[in-house]
Amino acid sequence: MKPTMAKVLPACLLLALLLLAPALLAQEERGLIMNLDTGELCLQSVQCKSGCCHHDHILGLTRCAPKAAEFQECSPKTVYGIYYKCPCESGLKCDADKSIVGAITNTNYGLCKDPRE
Amino acid sequence: MLGIWILGLFLLSAAEGKEVCYDRLGCFSDDAPWSGTVERPIYKLPWKPESIGTQFLLYTRQNENYAQEVSAVDKSTITASNFNTNRKTRFIVHGFIDHGEENWLSDMCKRMLSVEDVNCICVNWKKGSRCQYTQAANNIRVVGAEIAYFLNVLMDDYGYSPAHVHIIGHSLGAHVAGEAGRRRPGIGRITGLDPAQPYFQNTPTEVRLDKSDAEFVDVIHTDSAPTIPNLGFGIRTPVGHLDFYPNGGEEMPGCDKNAISQIVDLDGIWEGTRDFVACNHLRSYKYYSDSIMYPDGFLGYPCASYNLFQEGKCFPCPEEGCPNMGHYADRYKDKIKNNELTKFYLNTRETKNYPLWRYKVSVTLSGKSKVKGYVNVALYGTNGNTKQHQITKGTLKPDNTYIAYIDAEVNVGQVTKVKFLWNNNLPNPTLPKLGAATVTVEAGGNRAQYRFCGSEIVREDVLLTLNAC
Repeated sequence: MKPTMAKVLPACLLLALLLLAPALLAQEERGLIMNLDTGELCLQSVQCKSGCCHHDHILGLTRCAPKAAEFQECSPKTVYGIYYKCPCESGLKCDADKSIVGAITNTNYGLCKDPRE
Repeated sequence: MLGIWILGLFLLSAAEGKEVCYDRLGCFSDDAPWSGTVERPIYKLPWKPESIGTQFLLYTRQNENYAQEVSAVDKSTITASNFNTNRKTRFIVHGFIDHGEENWLSDMCKRMLSVEDVNCICVNWKKGSRCQYTQAANNIRVVGAEIAYFLNVLMDDYGYSPAHVHIIGHSLGAHVAGEAGRRRPGIGRITGLDPAQPYFQNTPTEVRLDKSDAEFVDVIHTDSAPTIPNLGFGIRTPVGHLDFYPNGGEEMPGCDKNAISQIVDLDGIWEGTRDFVACNHLRSYKYYSDSIMYPDGFLGYPCASYNLFQEGKCFPCPEEGCPNMGHYADRYKDKIKNNELTKFYLNTRETKNYPLWRYKVSVTLSGKSKVKGYVNVALYGTNGNTKQHQITKGTLKPDNTYIAYIDAEVNVGQVTKVKFLWNNNLPNPTLPKLGAATVTVEAGGNRAQYRFCGSEIVREDVLLTLNAC
């Protein structure tokens, strides 16, 4: 039930973004839908330059955020495409206690670790 | 016809050379340079003090969460308040449209009170700031005179020296501080947070904030593009003993977000709307506020231009050190040499917790294959580790050395090891391997140098740890 709520809220945002897109799509480089900077509103991680669309709680707005560095909190890649804790930077592994409940509620948190250490 | 000309001349002469006089504060004229110059074409006189209603809202460690209003006219309010003559006093003055009860002023007081015991006074002149810009730009003369009057009362009745006073002014408030300093010489310090540009840039020193207004004047420039056509609100020219231009002083990172993302801000719609209107301009007080908590996080590198700074031509800090932008800039006071270059450059982060620490990183590649891709390096030290920072992108050739200047979000302290990672932009079926033979790191602040070696070569997206050698 929780994940569906999370999708309803951004849907309104997507509509708003789409309506405003023609008016605001002035520059090529930094997009309104794709290639978003840190701090910009997003719906899916693919939209972000950083590759992480993040929110603090289920009803919180989702914004692009940097990926987690080593020893920072993280969650493994999920099917939802939005995160409470961003996935790790490349080369690192999110060392999390994976559980089914955690996978459904998107709360499989862990710490980023170097698999070679 | 002649009648109209005479009438016209009469009106013109009536508009020029007018003067108003107020009790306590003295007279204000609209003669040049106050009006009728190229920079200040419209004739305006400041409003009377009662219409502006300048308020002094005092915060101390005894009352961090509520303000006590003090007034120099009714001296009993000062005696009855928590004002203490054994402490320093810092005034915070807001700018155009703003008001003294706005959160950023009291938040700044709270942060100061968490690190030092001071009298923190927010100056509220909202009635005088919420009008036409040309009027507000003249009302600052009365507000400056009110502060000078307040300081005079403190000196005469309490023997409190203006040398213990620090005035922090944002935008028009910076020129309020300048006016107060001109009227009451000997003020210890004035900080100008992006002093307003229209009606002040290129004007004589008595009109605007200038280094002659206090013993030490430091300025942060965050919106110094020309008002026409770029809508920059901040003054462009250096006006203090130390002038800081974070991120080049014109465009602040985090201020070019799309409209919705900017307005629907993490700190609420009101903060977002303020940023939507004047993001660059408002960054100046946010940096200052953060600098209170991060004494070494805003080092300003002396440099001739921002481009040279970005290219690393002004790295590292000179031997006597770099000044801190913001609250601790006065620690550099004794190192200022006369008539020397006063522009300082640095970079900041794009969101809250703005400080960054600059390092120079050189990477010498090892391996056999020449590939296209990028190289990342993360620093590990006694105080923590950074995220991965890109050192180079493009053709990666073994034995070549790539140099980059990175602004780390963490002060890692003494660097103990580094990690290297490279990535091919496209899948490569030959599965090439690359490594880093040596990585050298130089910290900008204390000029410390570190050297790390590696003998391995790795496939893409594999972290390679290099230890000291």
